[in-house]
Amino acid sequence: MYRFLRFPILLVGLFLAASSFAANSSQPALTTEDSLGPQVQQPIEFPHNRHAGLKDASDPAKGGMEINCQYCHTYARRSAVAGIPPLQKCIGCHQNIESVRNKPRIVELFKYWDAKKAVPWKKVHDLPDFVRFNHERHIKRFVEQQDRPVQEACGYCHGDVKEMTVARRQKSLAMGWCASCHEKDHPVVAEGGTPIAGQAYWYSFQKPAAAVDANTKARGPNDCWQCHK
Amino acid sequence: MIDSGSVKQMAGHPFDRRDFLKVLGWSGAAVALSGCGNTSVEDGRETVVSYVEANDYMVPGVGVYFNSTCAQCDAGCSINGRVREGRVLKLEGNPDSAINKGRLCGLGQAGVQHHYNPDRVREPLLRNGNKGEAISWEKAYALIAEKLAGVSGEEIAFLSGGVSGHLKVLLGNYLDSLGTKNHFVYEAIAPSVVRAANLKAFGVEMPRYRFDKAQVVLSFGADFLGSWVSPVHFSQQYAQFRKGVNGQRGVLIQVESKMTLTGANADRWLAVKPGTEGVLALGIINALGMATGEVAELVKGYDKARVSRETGVSTGQIDKIAALLKLRSPSLVLAGNAAEGYAHGSQNAAAINLLNQVLGNVGKTIEAPVSVPFPQMVPSKGNTVALKNMNDGLAAGKYKVVFNFAANPVFTAPGAFKFKDNFAKAGFKVAFAHYLDETALQADLVLPLDSALEDWGTQVPEYMTEGAQINIQQPLMERLHANTRGMGDILLGLIKQKKADEYKGFEDYYAYLRGAVLQNKGALGGGGVEDDTFWNDTLTQGIVKLAGTTTSLAAHASAAGLVLPAAAEADEHFPLHLIPGVTASLRDGRHTNQPWLQESPDPLTTIVWDSWVEIHPKKAAELGIVEGDIVQVTSKTGSVKAQVYLFPGIHPEAISIPVGRGHDAMGRYAKGYGVNPFQIMDAVFEAATGELAMHETRVKISKTGQRVLVVKDEGSAGALQMGRKIAGRVSTDQVDLSKEV
Repeated sequence: MYRFLRFPILLVGLFLAASSFAANSSQPALTTEDSLGPQVQQPIEFPHNRHAGLKDASDPAKGGMEINCQYCHTYARRSAVAGIPPLQKCIGCHQNIESVRNKPRIVELFKYWDAKKAVPWKKVHDLPDFVRFNHERHIKRFVEQQDRPVQEACGYCHGDVKEMTVARRQKSLAMGWCASCHEKDHPVVAEGGTPIAGQAYWYSFQKPAAAVDANTKARGPNDCWQCHK
Repeated sequence: MIDSGSVKQMAGHPFDRRDFLKVLGWSGAAVALSGCGNTSVEDGRETVVSYVEANDYMVPGVGVYFNSTCAQCDAGCSINGRVREGRVLKLEGNPDSAINKGRLCGLGQAGVQHHYNPDRVREPLLRNGNKGEAISWEKAYALIAEKLAGVSGEEIAFLSGGVSGHLKVLLGNYLDSLGTKNHFVYEAIAPSVVRAANLKAFGVEMPRYRFDKAQVVLSFGADFLGSWVSPVHFSQQYAQFRKGVNGQRGVLIQVESKMTLTGANADRWLAVKPGTEGVLALGIINALGMATGEVAELVKGYDKARVSRETGVSTGQIDKIAALLKLRSPSLVLAGNAAEGYAHGSQNAAAINLLNQVLGNVGKTIEAPVSVPFPQMVPSKGNTVALKNMNDGLAAGKYKVVFNFAANPVFTAPGAFKFKDNFAKAGFKVAFAHYLDETALQADLVLPLDSALEDWGTQVPEYMTEGAQINIQQPLMERLHANTRGMGDILLGLIKQKKADEYKGFEDYYAYLRGAVLQNKGALGGGGVEDDTFWNDTLTQGIVKLAGTTTSLAAHASAAGLVLPAAAEADEHFPLHLIPGVTASLRDGRHTNQPWLQESPDPLTTIVWDSWVEIHPKKAAELGIVEGDIVQVTSKTGSVKAQVYLFPGIHPEAISIPVGRGHDAMGRYAKGYGVNPFQIMDAVFEAATGELAMHETRVKISKTGQRVLVVKDEGSAGALQMGRKIAGRVSTDQVDLSKEV
């Protein structure tokens, strides 16, 4: 019945498909779960492994220092954006660490400090402007309520930073990837059956019939507006 | 995306509706994917700048709020600005202020666009032929010192807008150090005739109006909800007034020749023949029959028939107004721009004040104002008289050095002044400017100012409400451009050229301000408080509230000297009155380059980004004009061309063009949009005060033959409801007063 429409519609469809391929061609293919982001050149090659890595029991001069992520990335638990620590933070410790004072990276760091200029770090993790990821909520949930190790919680999205020097994006951070976690059934009580802070309490209001125990599961928010505000 | 399989399938099969939708769906998805790909992700490309040093309260992504004062007009609303990552993002009203109580008007909201405006002057500029050459501040100061050397005080002129607070003190001291008395204060739109009339009738220039206590407000062209004196404050009082005293809703009657925003809100809007506001006021006094003695004698001649004939207001309306005013007390009668803008403006205002007194409103809804106990800080006021005096001096070639600050006379001076030509006769012209506006473009040296959101200062509003207050202006963020300076800093720099010893203790204007405030700590309510604590509290609050001094209010409005002229003869060459429309967002045009203000539709016509000529539909039909016709509006002084908008809210004998647009400088958002009615204003002055009678210009209009589509928000039906009963409408003549109140 709509036979006469067949060819024009097909052409339009093909054109749209082709043009969208063309528009996409300049971009990298959609990333997969374990795909890496671009290798980013930073003004100072900050060694995350040295700061956050595990201690080397045999030689304390070699391993990491197991500094909590939140010591430097202090804004993550307070704000939607994690921010970059102010230069003051770096200097706060390093002015007292004479042993590395003359290493090239530290000399470079102090040059910025003496000039009172901000280090022009490059973004490593960026999301499109129409996505609002909230660090604070994720830290509250995983670190404060579920009492998971900080490095594990941060690592869900940022990978194993303690093994990196300059951080590099490890996950795709695409919507499907976010949803893959939000759609999973997660326990609402911590491992071992301890009710997690207010979580189980509030959950019992929502689903009064269900007994809240170690088997009770819930999902992360999946309303569009949670991220697309 | 369409895979080859489905293409083959479709090609080989009859193409039904389902396939059609499928193809559409897939194509849509493909487009959506490409559109929503990670196109805005800037991994490894964009720099993320962190603080070098951060205060504890500075968290990226979390807003911090600072109090300051709105500088968009002189009403003195206190603002609260949201600052995030060191950038000011949004302004709102400060709830602690008695003036605006947490509210802010559209003009105030647009203040961020004054700050972030891309057309701000960023370097001191020295004229070199037709170009401005960037020079250093040292050179600029040296140049001023050089030009001032050997010049007597008589040969110096300083033109400024209204200034108040410590800046006014500093400016005064600088002018003293130059030995000049030629400080001309000029605000293009100011209620100066009303001030003079009020001083005569009540002993104060601007009493405190209590809309909230009034049961009836009768306003003769005072646009108190839009642009008159302190509109944000009045709007809040108006809400109280509408809510009513003892549940009785206040009634607003607006009398004017061109409907204003306030007129559009009125219960009863009366189109009065331009300039006959005073006649109507006296006619109402007569109809009230409450006057005695001299006043009764004066109004005797103003019987209804005569008043109706002269004003065009029907006798029935006069009766209704008088009945309403008698029934409801207290009331409040106001004289606004429309009443004062004539050669007999003082008489109009005096007649209106007399009506207030006859009604016994003085002391009830017209109260004594309070003022700050520091007379040197109260705002300096001025209007066209000052500009005229300066213009005369300029024309005579009297001035060797001229300064201009916070005024744009080349744009706002009536065309008949020929101000631009006269300004060129001054020897050396210095403009303190945010933008290269018309006046700055004529200057020899342009000194770039900090925006109001970057600068320090104090501001004292002219119109105080409950108690007196001094408003604090403080930077909400760092300077956007390294080479702009605060006006206070510049004045301090200049004054140090003359009185280095006296001012050497003040490193900058901030130090001066802090010192001056702390010096009067006791009087400012900080007695016994540590200096630092008091200063920090003051900055946190953004307002210093004071008991203030109350000026006593007199009620000596009298009939003496009150003579209203006979109705003006019709001018056969220029048959129409030109009413310059003052809009709530553009005012005198100093903020026209803020695109939000250009973009927000005029509340009455919904027109954006352009000027228009309001003509009554009847008059337009008579002249064969339709909406969108480009007409030439010609006065004795000049002519402009603009699009026509048919507007039932204007007297058929008048046309109106809004002021504020029609810049030929001032940057990308102002230049070339609309026309400037100031250009065609005749030099007719108010008889008693000598101010410009802004409504006295007579014009004629002629069609040019061009027609455009008027860009406006309202639909093709215009303001007409086309038979749809959206809002019930009834002509004011049909309203039965006994049912209405």
